[in-house]
Amino acid sequence: MLAKTKSYALNGVEGYEVAIEVDLNAGLPAYDTVGLADTAVKESKERVRAAIKNSLYNYPIRKITINLAPADTKKEGSHFDLAIAVGILVANEEIESKSYKDYIILGELSLDGSINSIRGVLPLIISAIQNGHKKFILPSKNAKEASYIGGIEVYAFDKLSQVVEFLTGASQVEPLETSEFVSISRANKYNVDFAEVKGQFVAKRALEIAVAGGHNVLLIGPPGAGKTMMAKCVPTIMPDMTFEEAIEVTKIHSVAGILDDSVGIVVNRPFRTPHHTATVPALMGGGANARPGEISMAHNGVLFLDEMPEYQRRTLETLRQPLEDGVAVVSRAKRTLEYPSRFMLVASMNPCPCGNLGSKVQQCKCTPSEIHRYISKLSGPLLDRIDLQIEVDSISYDEFRSSELNESSESIKARVEKARTVQRNRYVGTSTKTNDEMTNAQVRKYCELDKAGEELLKNAFTKLNLTARATNRVLKVSRTIADLDGSQDIQPKHVAEAIQYRSLDRKYWD
Amino acid sequence: MEYTSDQKALIMLSVTEGYNARKRRFDSVDRPCELYDDYSVADKMIAKMESRNIGVITILDDDYPQRLKEIYDPPYTLYYQGDKSLLNDKDTVAVVGTRKVSAYGKNVMSNFLPAFIKSGLTVVSGLARGVDSIGHKACIEQGARTIAVVANGLDICYPPENLNLQQQIVDKGLIISEYPMGTKPLQYHFPERNRIISALAHAVFIPEAGDRSGSLITADYAIEQGKELFVVPGSIFSQQSVGCNKKIKELQATIAITPDDVIFAFGRNAVKEDKIAIQLDMDSQSIVDLLQEGAKHFDEIFDATAINIGQLSGILTQLEICGVIRKTQGNYYEIIPQL
Repeated sequence: MLAKTKSYALNGVEGYEVAIEVDLNAGLPAYDTVGLADTAVKESKERVRAAIKNSLYNYPIRKITINLAPADTKKEGSHFDLAIAVGILVANEEIESKSYKDYIILGELSLDGSINSIRGVLPLIISAIQNGHKKFILPSKNAKEASYIGGIEVYAFDKLSQVVEFLTGASQVEPLETSEFVSISRANKYNVDFAEVKGQFVAKRALEIAVAGGHNVLLIGPPGAGKTMMAKCVPTIMPDMTFEEAIEVTKIHSVAGILDDSVGIVVNRPFRTPHHTATVPALMGGGANARPGEISMAHNGVLFLDEMPEYQRRTLETLRQPLEDGVAVVSRAKRTLEYPSRFMLVASMNPCPCGNLGSKVQQCKCTPSEIHRYISKLSGPLLDRIDLQIEVDSISYDEFRSSELNESSESIKARVEKARTVQRNRYVGTSTKTNDEMTNAQVRKYCELDKAGEELLKNAFTKLNLTARATNRVLKVSRTIADLDGSQDIQPKHVAEAIQYRSLDRKYWD
Repeated sequence: MEYTSDQKALIMLSVTEGYNARKRRFDSVDRPCELYDDYSVADKMIAKMESRNIGVITILDDDYPQRLKEIYDPPYTLYYQGDKSLLNDKDTVAVVGTRKVSAYGKNVMSNFLPAFIKSGLTVVSGLARGVDSIGHKACIEQGARTIAVVANGLDICYPPENLNLQQQIVDKGLIISEYPMGTKPLQYHFPERNRIISALAHAVFIPEAGDRSGSLITADYAIEQGKELFVVPGSIFSQQSVGCNKKIKELQATIAITPDDVIFAFGRNAVKEDKIAIQLDMDSQSIVDLLQEGAKHFDEIFDATAINIGQLSGILTQLEICGVIRKTQGNYYEIIPQL
């Protein structure tokens, strides 16, 4: 008896079809899995047997051979269980209808015959749709995640027996209803807000500019100045994710297994804070069972590196390529995986190892060489990717007149969205989306300065000791400031403001 | 370049015995060649020096500066890189001081050094962190003559972060050392080196010095060698001014309040610079008025002036470029004091 069911396997955030062939032979009872199955797949033997028995079906006392085709790629994970079980039941003639051939079957089995949730449902379904598949059988715990895709039939079940009854036609099941994305994206809110950040006017303004232009930011300040709090607020002023963006993020989170099953889609922009002991695979992705790293989980959101110089230098250097290309490439001996990772980098650091350099209240006890060593942990090429470097410090805002003027994230976001629209219109038809991504040619074209602006920039370099490589950064940030201002041209005042956000270039760290 | 056996002997002396060489005050420095038979050590050293473009002047040479010979223990050898004609510059001022310069010290330097440079003084210093480096940097940037006297072999850079500056001094000024190549900057070299700094200078100027600053050793040498000593008085509460104030209290130094005080000692008149009047608009003026009270944080300025935040950033940059105010660490702004 031979049966052939269809399932899907993951490669990065893309899926490919896996045909599961089940053959029953005469001979001593045995169970063999071929097709480069890893341990989790091989162990399905026990789960499938117990699940079939406990669902009160007959388990064949025969020699069972399972082949996972294509046979030359490594298969990982437990989500083939359900397809294997269906295959065995078909081969054993427990299911006589041929309807099972229409479905892509995904799900992990429990010993009692119930179906557990799996990782990566969304990317698997999307890849399957691209290959022309329309009907799916899924664990009901993953139903929410699948329901945002329209134009397909998804059937979700809790138990193996329900699947069998459905396939034999013994029971009728309606396909899932498609969920509306817009309604839930409105309903979800962040639990922080810029209105709660007292003072820090210049830092808030800089973050607004950074988000508006998609620039990366470095916050420099002593411990307790509120760097983390402000970084957490950054997603609240980012434009709402579009459906496409949300799907991209959900795909990655689904593969990583961090998706909230009850919502099924990521609505809020991600905010990821890897610890400074994070290893390269933790950040970039990879590991024995390749999984997306922190930078991919931060895709379309914010990656916050607290105390940046505390990270291993090697780890930080790996960020350079994703910052440039927006993808994390993980190379293995046998394959190369790509995870999207277009994130906004928000990093923070102390001005010196003890944190008190420049403080008016406390004395810094670091030697110049200690400070030098601390700062030089951030390499030039990495700093080159960070357009705004701003100082945040703890000063008391109690007596401030305008402390009640703290703006809410909502109103900052409105300005950001306006500036983003300006940018979208400007870069229409190119791969550039924000000012940060401008190519050198685009900088020349869109960041032209008038005479006064040129003069100002030149003076700034000589008088304020800016380093030469800051030019492009300053120009890009000026462009964003002009966009926020609703100005077609970059005016000297925009350049002048942009120069304020180049703290690390000032050589007073010498 | 060919060396005589006398010169080679002095090089041998500095290589093999270092500072102790001077204890052999053989009365006739005239004939040091009688000390050695075999010059292979000196030949090796000369080959190494030539590969690094390091030259040497010995006490027997004509271009050895007269002022060095006048001190108690002149170095027998001066290894140098750069323009050796600087050694015989007439008007030289030593600028030395603390390694940890306070904002006050920086203000003093930014007011005094340009005046020295404009008056054509050659600045001698020790390439140390702080005051020394600031002094050398200012000279290099403004094309003035400067001599660095270091406490180690010329193939070594100390402190390491001054590598760039050292190279610039080699290119545009002069760097000298009495120690042969390969000598590390050992602790006791620094006081030894200081006697050369003060000997090369006609006057020693100390903008800021802490209680135990090495520059006070230079000051003592200056007094011993009969040079003029100028110090800038500082706050009695400032750690970085304790040394200067002590010299004033002990009546050992002349107080320098304006650059002219030092420049007059050279029989020169300070080059008067016309102050450029900067016309400030209303917003800028209100910021400057506010900062007259003392350094203020950006947010304090914002709170007090109620200028739109983006605009305020712009105005502050403009004022910085005009040289009216300065941004310090931690987003503070302050007026740059002018004499």
